[in-house]
Amino acid sequence: MIRRAIRVFGESEGAIGRLLIACMGIGFAALLAAGIGAVSTTMRNQAHTDMVNHTYTVKLAIAHTQTLIEQGETARRGYLLTGDPDYRHNYAVAAGQTGPEIARIARLTADNPAQRQNLAALRPYLRALLAQRAQTNAQVAQGARATALDSFVHEKGARRMYHIRRVLAAMSEEESRLLAMRDTEQRNTVSAFYGLLAGAGVLLVIVALLSITTVQRYTRDLAESRDTLRDFADSLEDLVAERTTELTRANEEVQRFAYIVSHDLRSPLVNVMGFTAELEAATVTISALIDRAEQDAPEILTEDVRLAAREDLPEAIGFIRTSTQKMDRLINAILKLSRQGRRVITPEPLDTAALAATIRASLQHLLDDRGAVLEIAEPMVPITSDRLALEQIFSNLIENAVKYLDPKRPGRIIVRSRREGARAIFEIEDNGRGIAPADHTRIFDLFRRSGQQDQPGEGIGLAHVRALAYRLGGTIDVASELGRGSTFRINLPVAYVEALTTRTERDPA
Amino acid sequence: MNDHRSVSIVMIEDDEGHARLIEKNIRRAGILNGITHFTDGTSALDYLFNHADGPARNGPALVLLDLNLPDMSGTDILAKIKSTPALKRTPVVVLTTTDDKVEIQRCYDLGCNVYITKPVNYESFAQAIRQLGLFLSVIQVPEIEGD
Repeated sequence: MIRRAIRVFGESEGAIGRLLIACMGIGFAALLAAGIGAVSTTMRNQAHTDMVNHTYTVKLAIAHTQTLIEQGETARRGYLLTGDPDYRHNYAVAAGQTGPEIARIARLTADNPAQRQNLAALRPYLRALLAQRAQTNAQVAQGARATALDSFVHEKGARRMYHIRRVLAAMSEEESRLLAMRDTEQRNTVSAFYGLLAGAGVLLVIVALLSITTVQRYTRDLAESRDTLRDFADSLEDLVAERTTELTRANEEVQRFAYIVSHDLRSPLVNVMGFTAELEAATVTISALIDRAEQDAPEILTEDVRLAAREDLPEAIGFIRTSTQKMDRLINAILKLSRQGRRVITPEPLDTAALAATIRASLQHLLDDRGAVLEIAEPMVPITSDRLALEQIFSNLIENAVKYLDPKRPGRIIVRSRREGARAIFEIEDNGRGIAPADHTRIFDLFRRSGQQDQPGEGIGLAHVRALAYRLGGTIDVASELGRGSTFRINLPVAYVEALTTRTERDPA
Repeated sequence: MNDHRSVSIVMIEDDEGHARLIEKNIRRAGILNGITHFTDGTSALDYLFNHADGPARNGPALVLLDLNLPDMSGTDILAKIKSTPALKRTPVVVLTTTDDKVEIQRCYDLGCNVYITKPVNYESFAQAIRQLGLFLSVIQVPEIEGD
């Protein structure tokens, strides 16, 4: 259920992520377009300003030209009327500027065919005008003012001036037209830019709104999922705590049961053994009586009586004894096992290699006896656990490995370890006689043994090892092939952690 | 104890067989003092505290106590004996199957004088009881105050 919630959430998370990235992309594209638009508009603005400046320069030049022509005319007429050389000088200045000014206009309007045409039309008139003026001025200078005046009266100056003014007006008009055209163009550019800006703005607003809604919805979903997960975690924790309590209680009950049973079984056993001993003592007395009767009065004895006293009774007592002794051992084993579960674990950092080496040293005699070697694959994973418990696990397993070696080949036992996350795996591998697959689970049960029963033992060791492994929060299993060898694998936490409920209870008696 | 014929042994043991074996072996050790046997805690307490022949009223005694009783724990009886002025000097020998360390400590804390675990092996058991008998034959039991 939790997994599904997480998966659904993950999918929506992906979709939302893609949507947000798309929104951001669109937003950035809009900003970029607006920026490019702004740059291009500014550049065009600049160009336009240059063109407007140019137009005004041309218009000014045209106006200046016209003024120069008019000034020239005024100065000429003044000279003609008065003969004052100042007028002649004024005229020379104005006339001298006219040529360059026209040349400037020609330069400025070189790219405009209409203006070039206008200038071409203007030049003959101007040339004629200037020639005319130069002639009358020269006549006045030579003193022939009357001739000059006469030629002034007869010259068709007014008509020429009209043409000149018209051409100049046309040129000015042309420039104005260009200006208007450029203004329109400029306005269009600006409005296009505004349009672009508005579009980008609207797009940005839309994207922002979409992003905000999405993020809000996503956040809400996230909060909901978090709440759901927390609920799950809470209920899971409760569930785990509940189960652990149940398990601990059940385990404690089993321990208590084992303890009480084994304990209470001892009492009647004391009686059985005690009275068997009493019987034995009585048998000795009876045997002595039979012996005496055989000597003194053999006629009172039958074969049955002799047999009963000398064979049946001792035999029966012997069987009772061996059975009760075995029962005693078994009860002690159960007792030991139940005590193991109740023992307080004291975790400490352990050098497992040193621990294994100590066990090897204590078993060296047995190893030499069987011609076997024990290898410890160093470095071994160090763990924090109960020293005594781990020592018992290792020594039981190693002792078993030595005990059940195959006499047909030299024994080789390897102790190795590896770490898997927070767990340490210890392996004890031998090349001994192996265990039949059917017995792989059974051998860990109390009083159960496998294979040929040629070694002493009660079937307690592995049950004990398993109980210890459980007590340390670990597990044990075996991989084995009959006739090839066995590998016992113990999986323990790297650091021992006490179970949730502590064992404070103790059973009296 | 042969010199103190008046010292009676109060045996509180729910198992008849055990009681018989204990008695037999004590007798074999040469102890001839009277043994009064109880199989439950209630009647034993009644005898100890109230009976006319009981130690609270009539002279010194020694208590052999088993801890597993049907109606109460032997430690309760031990606590009661050791907290009663008239009986607190009465030696109590705890004779039980339990060899739990905590239990042994608790008994000594409560004032038990000797704690013996019944060996399951009969030879050891018989020997332990006989040794206890020898011990009983030399131990001095205090007189009850005001007696």
